[in-house]
This record gives sequence, C-alpha cells and structure tokens, in this order.
Amino acid sequence: MTKIGLEIHCQLTHLKSKLFCSCKANYREFEINENVCPVCMGLPGSLPRLNQEAVKKATIIAMALNCSTPEKIAFFRKNYFYPDLTKNFQITQLNIYGDTSVGGKGSVIVDGKKIRITRIQLEEDPGRLIYEGSSSKNQITLVDYNRAGTPLVEIVTEPDFENPKQVREFLNILSDLLENLAVSDPGLDGAMRADANVSIEGGNKVEVKNIGSFHDLEKAVHFEITRQNSLHSRDISIIQETRHWDDKRKITVSSRSKEEDLDYRYFLEGDIPWITIDSSILEKLKSEMPESINSKKERYISKYNIPEQVADVLSSDKFYSDLFEESHSDSNAKEIANIITTDLMGLIDTREKRESSKISATHLRDLADAITSGKISRNSSKNALYEIVKTGNNISQIISDLDLGNVSDESELTGIIQEIITSEPQAVEQAKSNPQTINYLVGKVMQKTKGKADPKLTLDLLKKLIE
Amino acid sequence: MEIWIEHLGVRKMVTEEDIEHVSKLMKINVTNHAEYVDKVRAMINYFDILDSAGVESEEVSMQEISISELREDKYIPFDEKLIEKLNHYKGTYVRAPKMSS
Amino acid sequence: MNLKISALEFVQQVQDGNISAEDFVAKTIEQIQSVDEKLHAFLSVNENAVEQARLIDKKIKSGDKVGACFGMPISIKDNMCIKNDKTTCASKMLENFIAPYDATVITKLKQQDAIFIGKTNMDEFAMGLSTEFSAFGPSRNPWNPEYVPGGSSGGSAVSVSAFECVTSLGSDTGGSVRNPASFCSVVGYKPTYGLISRYGLISYANSIEQIGPITRTVKDVAFMLNIIAGIDPNDNTTIDNKGEDYLSGIDSGIEGKKIGIITDMMTDGVDPAVLSATKDAISKLEGLGATCEEVSIDMVKYSVAAYYTITATEAGSNLARYDNLRYGYDFSVEGYEFNSYISKAREKFGPEVTRRMIIGGFVPSAGHAGKYFLKALKVKSKLTKELDEAFKKFDLLVAPTVPVLPFKIGEKINDPVSLFLIDINTVTANLTGKPAISIPYSISNGLPIGIQLFANSNQDKLLLQAAYALEQTVKLPEVPL
Repeated sequence: MTKIGLEIHCQLTHLKSKLFCSCKANYREFEINENVCPVCMGLPGSLPRLNQEAVKKATIIAMALNCSTPEKIAFFRKNYFYPDLTKNFQITQLNIYGDTSVGGKGSVIVDGKKIRITRIQLEEDPGRLIYEGSSSKNQITLVDYNRAGTPLVEIVTEPDFENPKQVREFLNILSDLLENLAVSDPGLDGAMRADANVSIEGGNKVEVKNIGSFHDLEKAVHFEITRQNSLHSRDISIIQETRHWDDKRKITVSSRSKEEDLDYRYFLEGDIPWITIDSSILEKLKSEMPESINSKKERYISKYNIPEQVADVLSSDKFYSDLFEESHSDSNAKEIANIITTDLMGLIDTREKRESSKISATHLRDLADAITSGKISRNSSKNALYEIVKTGNNISQIISDLDLGNVSDESELTGIIQEIITSEPQAVEQAKSNPQTINYLVGKVMQKTKGKADPKLTLDLLKKLIE
Repeated sequence: MEIWIEHLGVRKMVTEEDIEHVSKLMKINVTNHAEYVDKVRAMINYFDILDSAGVESEEVSMQEISISELREDKYIPFDEKLIEKLNHYKGTYVRAPKMSS
Repeated sequence: MNLKISALEFVQQVQDGNISAEDFVAKTIEQIQSVDEKLHAFLSVNENAVEQARLIDKKIKSGDKVGACFGMPISIKDNMCIKNDKTTCASKMLENFIAPYDATVITKLKQQDAIFIGKTNMDEFAMGLSTEFSAFGPSRNPWNPEYVPGGSSGGSAVSVSAFECVTSLGSDTGGSVRNPASFCSVVGYKPTYGLISRYGLISYANSIEQIGPITRTVKDVAFMLNIIAGIDPNDNTTIDNKGEDYLSGIDSGIEGKKIGIITDMMTDGVDPAVLSATKDAISKLEGLGATCEEVSIDMVKYSVAAYYTITATEAGSNLARYDNLRYGYDFSVEGYEFNSYISKAREKFGPEVTRRMIIGGFVPSAGHAGKYFLKALKVKSKLTKELDEAFKKFDLLVAPTVPVLPFKIGEKINDPVSLFLIDINTVTANLTGKPAISIPYSISNGLPIGIQLFANSNQDKLLLQAAYALEQTVKLPEVPL
C-alpha cells in the first residue's frame, strides 16, 4: 500500500512582524536585504524576541486541526550550516521533553478518511538563495535575508495518505482553513511549501524536499509514486533517500547529502524561556476563533435553506463568505448566495481580478433587492454585476446608465407582446391547448427586450392577451 | 525522538576518525587530527564522571515566562541600512560560495 | 590626581567640583599608556574619551541634568557591543567586526553619562580562565606580571586593579568575572540569571552566563546594578527586579544570618593558603553575628563535567554563525565550494575554541546525546534542587572563589582537565542561576585570594549586604604596580 506523509510549511502572512524581531513579516515589498536587523541577521550578541501573536496564531491553527495544545511550549535549535541561515541554526520546536510543540496530536477527515496530524511547530523561515551563472562551474550564490525570520508553522502529518487525490483534497481543506482563520494567505507566492515522504508496498521511505507550492506538491507525490512503481516493477529496490523537487523539470532528483549534515544536534534554545499558555488564554483564543467552514456550511443550509452544493462553495472561500456574511439578511440570503456562486465567482476568478474588484456588501444587497423587487431581471443582473465589479458605481446609476431597467410599463409591454402573438400564431395555438408551452412565448418577449421585460408582468399579460 | 534514546554499551575511545568526523560536522579544518585526539579524549573521558551522578530520574527544567510577556506584534524597521555595514556584493546581496550538489 | 578611588567617590568628587571628568579621564588614559604595555588589559582604547568627558563637564557646569556616572571611565570586556566600535571577542575571526548596535548595558550606561575608556582583553570568546587564550596575547596580573590575571574577563579585572578605569563590565559563564576578580584582588559579581540583559553580549553559553561588574568595592557593584539591572524587552530571559535599589541598606549587616559552608568546595584539592583564608573569613562572618555551619552539596563534584558539556554544546551552536559570509575578515569566496570555504574561514579560531567546538560537536551529536548532554542537564537540575534545599536552611553560602592561587603564565595551558578543575567553585552559581560574589580577602606570597559568597535567586541585595559586611573587616596592601 502506498503511504504518503506531509510536512507543510505555511507562513503566517497576516502577522505584522517577524518571529523573533520587529522587521516586517511581509518581506515581499522590499529591496534586497532591506528588511533586516541585527536579530534576523544573526549578528553577534543579538537575541531572539518571540512574537506573541505568532504563538497565538499557531495555537489557533493547532486548535482548528483538532490538535492538543500544551500548557507550555519550548524552542529548540536545529544546527546545520547553510548560507540562508544567518546563525547556522534554525530555531524550531520538537517534542523531546514531553509535548512542547505548539500543537500535539490531531486529525482531519479527508474524503471520509482520517488523516492524523503528528504535531504542529512554530519556526523561522530562512533567507532566500539566488543562483547566478550558467554552469555549475561559474555558479555564484547570492543571498537575500529579507525572508529570514518570517514566522512559519510546520504541520507534520502521519503517513496516512494513500494517493495524490487525498493529498490534493487535504491541501484544499487546509488552504481554506488557513484562510478562514485569517492566519495565512495561501495564494501568496512562497507562502506554502512542503516536503513529502512517499513509500510504496515493499519499498523504503523516500523524502521529497523543496516543493515550492501546493500545486507542485501533488505533482511531486504523483511523480514519486510513478517512479517508485516503475523501479519496483523492474525489480529494482527503492533505497531510502532524500530527493528534492526540481520545479523546472517537474521531477524529483536524488540529493547527495552527507551523513554529517543530517546530525542536527537538537538542543534547547536557552534564549527563549519555556512559554506558558494558561487555560484562560486558550479559552479566549478559542472563543475568538472564526466560525469553522463546516459550521458555516451547516448554518447556510439550515437557516437559509441554501442548497448544499451552493453552501459548500460559499463557505469554503473566506473572501466570498465574508461578502455574504456582510451583505445578507434573512430575506435576501438565498438570492445573495445565488448571485455570488453563479455569477460573481465566474467574474472574478483570479487573485488579480479579486484585488481590483470594486464590489462591496452594499452592492450585493442592493442588487438582490433590485432583482426581488423586479427592478432588474435576473438576466440583466449579470451585466449590472459586471459593471459593479469594474466601476463600483451604485446599482441605480448602473441601471440607468446602461438602460438595464425592466420594461414594466404595461402599455409598452402590451405592444411588444401583440407583435409576438401576430408573428407566432402556431405557438399561440399550442399555448392555448398546453399552458406549459407559454414559456416559449415568454422567451420570445425576453429576446425582444434583451432580457429586460418584467417576467411576472410579461406572463400575466401574455395569458390575458392569448385568451 | 530516537536521537535521545540512550546508547548503552561500551563507548569507544576517541579516535582520529572521530575528530575528523566532528570537525567536518562543525565545519573547521583541523589539519592535524592527532594533535587534538589526546586533549579531546582527556576532556571527553572526564565527562564519564556524569555516569555516576545518579540523575536518571531527574527532569530537565527551564525558566518559564507567560505568553502575555512576549513581544507585541509590531513592525518597527531597524533605524539604518544595516546591509551597508556588512559584507555585500552586487548591490546589496550577500555572496556565498557556490553550493555543491 | 588620585585615580585610586571608587565609583561612588568619583561621583561625589565630580559633583562637589573637586575634580573634573575631563582631568580624571585624561589621567586615566595616561595611566593606561604607562602600565598597559606591560599588563595588556586593553584590546582597544577610546580615542575620544577625553573629548566625551569634556562634554559631560560642560553639562555639569551649565547645570543640565547629568547621568549618575558623571563621566566615569568604565572599561568593557570586548565581547559586548558598542555601536561603531570594534568588538573582537579577542578572536582573529572578529578582528575587524564593527558592532552596528549597542548592547543594552551600553545603552543604559550611555544614558547615565559613563565614558567607555576601552575594550578589555579576554580569553577568545570567553573560553578560558587565564586570559592566555586571547588571540592577541595574554593579560598579566598587576600583582605579579609573571602570573595570569585569571579569566576569561582578565583584562577587565586587570584594568580595575591597575587603576586603568574606575569599574569594568565582564561576563561570567563559569566564573569568568569572579575568577579574575579573585586573582587580581578586586570585587567581581555574578548576578541572578536574568538580572542583567545579555542583549549585545556575544554568546558563549547563553543559558547560564551573565554580565557582571568588576569593581574596587562592594558598594560600587550595587551602584552599577542600580544602572544596568532590570527587565529588558530585548532579552526574553531577563527578570523584573522592580527597580530595586541595591545601595540602600547595604550596611544592614549580617547579624543573625545563617551561612552554610560548602564542604564540597573545600576539599583536599584546595590550596592550603586558600583554605586558611577561607576559614579566617568564616570566623570573621561569625564575628559579625552570623552563624556558620557546614553543608554538603553532592552534585558539586559533577558540576564541572556538566558545565563543560553544556557550555561546549551551546558554544558549538553559538559560534556556528561565524562563517565569514556576512561579516568577518577579508577572505574572498571566489573559487570555493561552500563547505570548503566555511571550514577554511573558520581556521581563524584559536586552538582552545576549536577544541571546545569539537567537544560541542561530540556531546550533543546523535550517538552521544543521551550519554552526555541529557545527563549534564539533569545534573544541572539536581544541583539547583540541592541549592534550593540548602537555601531553605541558610541565607547565604560561602566557599573560596578559586581553589588555587594565581599560577604562572604558561604553567597550565597544556593541561585542559587540570584547568577545568579550577572552575569547580564557580560553575555552581552559573548552572543554578544563583548570584555569587568574590571579595578580595587576603594576599599570600604576594598573590591575591578571594572569598565567594552565594545567595538564593533574586536575593542579590542580601548578598551585597553580606559582602559589604565582610569587606569592612578586610584591610589589604596596595597593588605593587
């Protein structure tokens, strides 16, 4: 049986400062080596100053993944030399002296299967290496430390996944969860990275490191399983090794790491005392936690009678569920859910479009009102929504600017309908014998009015005029 | 963690190979391993006294502070361009040697 | 001008207008010029010191608010960062390192108008107890230049002893303040762990070390603590001392106090002269109204092994950052592969630092972690428990600071284990986080002997009161410069 375990590194992108200093957590907006200070540069004499909010956010993640949260947490040093590490050790967490990682054992249900979480640890991100030069001979290594010290949460799972599909499903759940908790923005470049360990029946465990996105993680796992199966089918034994993901070639490559590099000499970080998190703080964090995706979904279904599929889509994306929460009332909830899931999601389907979109909760509320009161047809509402996203203008302005208002003037509509009756005698006869088919005539009216005819009025008038 | 499991049995004497291995691990060229063997062996041998301290049942303890005493999450940039005071290359990069593998 | 005054006397005399900071600092520079060629207390001297003192005099004259130090010349061990000054740790590895920020103690002293007269010599990265392991040559004992001044803060102790400053800051990882203070006949203080911020102190073994004042008098220690002690947001291990005033009530005496004599620190290995000085001190303490009684601290005999295991492990990690990439000395990466470059660059470490890093690679490494490092941590825990137990019964503990007299330069440099054992009386305070002080007590054949007092954690004030009381019973000859 194939076994896959994951180590997922997720940056706490919503924090203002780094894990151990006051430099900015969002390092992306800086010139090279501009977002650094003596602490994250590991200068002699500098000491780490732990970020309180980082511990809280990591704890919230632990609680959301059903992990135990210990009364005290401890930090350890992982010692190895690498140019992206300013101290040549990484401050991280382990469970050596009891459970002192920010999160202990937990689990998530993925596709009906229980995936066990081993632990969750808080640690610092290293800097970034840039390789220049075409061949390995004239290679130049450059380092940018702006990222060094960015708060990372590492989520370690047991090898409970059986196939790439479960991995993907888990990643989807995790992305949504992290976003919903307002701790991390999984869409930011480099915010999510992962290592995976993969083994097939009868083979040794292979670690795949350096996977730079969730997208590639699934690919890497898939590649590795295929590679191992192919070896196995040719009776070549699979050696226990570390491989890294080559994201240009989309393959895994064996890393030639020497034995001594793997001796991390973990020991307690004396510069950070053990941090006690008393139960009142845990309670408070729990009470302040955003509603879970599942609970939102259940609420949308039971309270507003929103179809399960719609509720599912709506609740799992924080951007849309926030819009929904802000705009809906008991009476318009279903309509708003409908606008968001059938029209809006298609309109702003990329990160860029979302960010440049001008839509607000007020727009949605007004649009729903306009539809229910018959000011605008459902058909025209799509055009209106497009304008809202583009301009941010209010709905009445858009209706008048684009002439999207319903044709609800009885005499105007009567004229149009009479034209149709004249030109469609067969259909009129049919509608008389079979009232169901009147919809064909309604459609014709809509066509003529470019979808702006008030549907209810149209139907009433049609029925009257046919008889 | 397996690394904390006690290794029972007789420990071998510190050898030149050990010194070589550890000096690689610690990234220091030790040109004459033999020169270090005696002194390091003497020091390590002295540490064997810890075996008779009878502390197996002791728990490791550490200083503790409450989460509420930790630093507030605030962005405060360092007050000067630190990189200009450090080694830099090609503008403001730090240059490292080429990486093997 | 008399340079042989205490910090409190200096402040008083400047305040009274009897002396100016400028004159005193200028005279101190002259003293350095005249004695330091022989003693080598300093690695660098502040060329702007006189000018800085002049500015402080100006402030005094114009009636501006002046800080508590009034331009007092203070020397700083060269492992504490002063912004824009060289901070070398007496290592070739950091020969050209200019610190881009101030250590917290430096910030606090600057605010109180102290003058940093120079950076003092030390064992490289504070690893040693004789200052012979400085990459820039040893310091010498002012009492007899053939002898070591102790270490690792040897330069600091020498500078105070030889009147090259009024007070000094050293750092104490396993006795590095108290040992040279004892060897040079000055006062050396290791505070409760966390009392003084370590921010800007270049780490050797961060979980047990503290910055500590080296002064001429016990009162001067209290004066310095009033300035530099207390919680620091830059150091998560600091403790809140609630603005304690260590000077007030320092003369309260020790009438009725119970003092434990640590028998494990007064064994056969202790030099007879040191032993008899200690017994004499005990009778003095009793004469002051204290009751003294023997107490055994079992773990003391394992303390040195635990100490070296822990310090080597932490040092191996703390010194890993010196890879010469971001700062260091001139050595191009051109043509090198990563591992070979780093290993080559780190050849600049001296032999003692290299040895301890090799040990620091051994003891916590995968195969040995349980055997050495974990046991060392457990000894540390048990030792702490034993002291806590002792402090239920006693207010203070007493022992010799160092079991031996100062030795000749070169005498023990090749015997690491016998050097180890010199630390046996000092490392306990570091491993347990308790405060300890060394007080100059007597001179034997022209060589100083110090007495060490311990108190429980956060009882620094009580400890200073006791030390002050004992100090008042001592009259010592002047250093034969």
